[in-house]
Amino acid sequence: MKIVVTVKLVPDPNAEKRIDTSTKRLVRTGVETVLNPYDEYALEAALQLKEKAGGDTTVTVFAMAPESLKETLRKALAMGADDAVLLSDPALEGSDVWATSYAMSHALKKIGFDLLIVGGLSDDGSTGATPGALAEYLQTPLVTNVRKADAEGNSLKLERETDTGYQTVAAPLPCAITTALTFGEPRYASLKGIMGAKKKTIAPLTVGDLGLDREVGVSGSKTALLAANPPAARGKGQVVEAADGATGAKAIFDFLKERKLV
Amino acid sequence: MTFFEELSRACGPGALLQDPALIAPYVTDWRGTFTGRALAVVRPASVNEVAEIVRVCAQNRVAVVPQGGNTGLAVGATPLDAGDAVVLSLVRLNRIRDLDADGFTISVDAGCVLADVRERASQAGRLFPLSLAAEGSAQIGGLISTNAGGTSVVRYGTMRAQVLGLEVVLADGTRLDGMRALRKDNAGYDWKQLFIGAEGTLGIVTGAVLKLVPKPRFVATALLGIDRLQDAVRAFGVLQHMLGETLSAFEFFPQRAVALRLAHEPALAPPMGERAWYLLVEASSALALDDAFETALAETLDGGCAADAVVATDSNRRHELWMWRESITEHERRAGPSAKHDVSVAISQVPAFVIEATAAVEARFSGARVLAFGHIGDGNVHFNVLLPADGSIPREDVTAVVHAMVRQYGGSITAEHGIGRYRREDLLAQRSPGEMALMRAVKRALDPSGVMNPGAVFS
Repeated sequence: MKIVVTVKLVPDPNAEKRIDTSTKRLVRTGVETVLNPYDEYALEAALQLKEKAGGDTTVTVFAMAPESLKETLRKALAMGADDAVLLSDPALEGSDVWATSYAMSHALKKIGFDLLIVGGLSDDGSTGATPGALAEYLQTPLVTNVRKADAEGNSLKLERETDTGYQTVAAPLPCAITTALTFGEPRYASLKGIMGAKKKTIAPLTVGDLGLDREVGVSGSKTALLAANPPAARGKGQVVEAADGATGAKAIFDFLKERKLV
Repeated sequence: MTFFEELSRACGPGALLQDPALIAPYVTDWRGTFTGRALAVVRPASVNEVAEIVRVCAQNRVAVVPQGGNTGLAVGATPLDAGDAVVLSLVRLNRIRDLDADGFTISVDAGCVLADVRERASQAGRLFPLSLAAEGSAQIGGLISTNAGGTSVVRYGTMRAQVLGLEVVLADGTRLDGMRALRKDNAGYDWKQLFIGAEGTLGIVTGAVLKLVPKPRFVATALLGIDRLQDAVRAFGVLQHMLGETLSAFEFFPQRAVALRLAHEPALAPPMGERAWYLLVEASSALALDDAFETALAETLDGGCAADAVVATDSNRRHELWMWRESITEHERRAGPSAKHDVSVAISQVPAFVIEATAAVEARFSGARVLAFGHIGDGNVHFNVLLPADGSIPREDVTAVVHAMVRQYGGSITAEHGIGRYRREDLLAQRSPGEMALMRAVKRALDPSGVMNPGAVFS
C-alpha cells in the first residue's frame, strides 16, 4: 500500500505572529517553521498503518511550500516517513484554497497513492477546506475525522468521530481520509530517525511538471484577502479569591450564570 | 489606636484581610502539608506601605511572615500555629519598574511573577534565565529570599548570580535602596548578599535589579533513555565536552515519574519506549545548534551511555518534553503524602547516592516508594519518598535515614528549597556550632527583636 500524507509547513503556533499590512501576508522572518500540528496526527496515522500492515507499505510525505523550507520537511522524514516530495514554485505564491488544492491534486496524481491522509485543519490558514477540495479534484472518496484505521484487503475499516460517538465506516482503496486528534499522539523524532532522514530523498516538483491547464497563484485564485486585523486586546481578568476550591468554583459559576454564559 | 487600626492605616483598609476564610490560602503551604494561623494578612501595593507595615509590627512586637507566590517547598512563608504573626503578602507589589535592553537589566518589584518577568524580557529579545516548574506563580522576592535554583543553574547559576541590585525593608521598617544596575561595585560590604537566601528572616526584599542575557536564537531539546543511572554522569561528561557552555539543562527522572503521570493522564503517550531513567537535555545558543547537538547525542548513543534518544522538532514538542520533568511535583502531590528531600552531592556521586539511599529507604520502610529526580548538572536530587496515605510511616523517620545518607556523602540537606520551618531541626546537624553562632549573630544584628519571619531557619 502506498500512503501519501500531505503536510503543510506553518509558522510556529507558539510564536508571536504579525501580518504585513501592505502584502496582507504573514511575516515569516524570525519565526520558526514547523510541521502543521494537525498533519503530525495524519503522519502518525500513516506510520501506525505501515507498522500494522508491514510488507511493502510505504509512507510518502508531500508538501507544497517554498524551497527554502525544505529542511522542515525533513522533520517528517525523521519521524519515520520513507521519502518526501516538495512542490515549490514562485508561481504558486498567493494561491487560495481553490488554486492550492488544484495544484496539489495534480502533484498527488503524479505521485500516485492508495491512501491519502490529510490533516483536518491547518494551524495558520484554518479553512479546513483543503481535504474536501482535494478529494473532489482527485475524484476519490473522503472519510473525515478518522480516529482509527485498519487495512482489510483492498479496503479500509475506519472509525470516524462524531459529536455523539463514533461511526464504523468501510472505504475502498484508493481513498482519502482526514485524521481526528484522538488518533494518537504523534511520535517524537528519534535520534536514529533524524540521522536516517539526512539520507532520505526529497524529490522536487515545479508547476512545469504538473501539466496544469489553468493558472495558479494570486491570478488563479477565486478569493482575495481584503483585510487582516489582529484580535481586540483582552481586558484584564478578574481574580476570584476564596478560602477553598469549592467556594472559588461557586463564585466563578455565579459570575458566569449572572452573565447567562452557563 | 489599636494595632489593626494602625495596620489598616499603613496599607489601606482594602489591603488588610482578617476574615478567616480569606486568610486561609495564606496560612497553608503549597503542598497543603502545614496549616498555621495568622492575626491578619496584609497586601501592600507600594514599598512605602511595606515599610510602614513593618514599622507598625515592630513597634507592637508583632511578627511578620513575608510571603511571595506561596510556592515554597520548605514552609518558609507559612506562619506557625501560635497565630500571633501577620502575613505580609507581596502579591500586589508587582510592577516591572524598568527594562534596560542595552544594559541587559530588568528592574522589578518583589511581587512580580517569574513567568511575567521572563515574558517581558523575551519581548525585548532578552532572556531572564532562571526557570523552574512553579514559575507561573513564584515571585521574584521569594526566589531571591530562597536563592532559588531551577533547571538552568548548570549554565546560569542560581538566583544569587542574577541579582545586581536589591531593595529591602529592614526589621524596624527602614527602607534600604540598593537598586543599582552595576556589574562591578566594590564599595564596602556587598550587603545584598545577606538577604539572598535569608528566607525573609533578616528583612523583606521589595525590589531587585536582575541581570538579563541575550535570548538564544536556537534551542535544542532531547530526551535520552538510559538503563543505569551511572550512565547519566558519563552522558553529562560527553555532552559537556561536545556542547560546552551551550548546555543549559541536564535533568533526570525515573520511569516511576513517567508511570505516575500516565496514571493521572491515561490518554498521553509515553515519550519513548520504557527505560529505567530519562535525561532531559537542552542546549541553547546564538549560533545554530542542530548538527552539533545531534552529533553530541549520537556520541552518547555510540559511547553506550544512552540507550535511546528522541528530539523535540519544534516548540510544542519541546514544551511537551519539559512537561515530563516539570509536572512531577504536581503528580506527586496528587499521589498522596510524601517526604520531600532537596539534597545535593557532588555530581559524580549522584548515581551512587540515589541507588544507596533508595535501597536504604525502601528496605527500612515497607510501602515507601522513592521518586528521585532533579538536576544532575548541579548535583541536586529531589529525593522524594511517596508514603502510604494512612500515615503509618512517620515522615521524620524517613528524613532521618535520607539525611544521614546525605551526611555520609558530604552533601547538603537543602540544595535549593531552603530550610524554612520544614528542615530547621536538621540545620544543626548540617552546620558547625561556629557557623550557627555566626548566623545567629547576623540575625541578632539585623533583627534584634526577632520579628522577621520567626520560626524559619532557626528553631
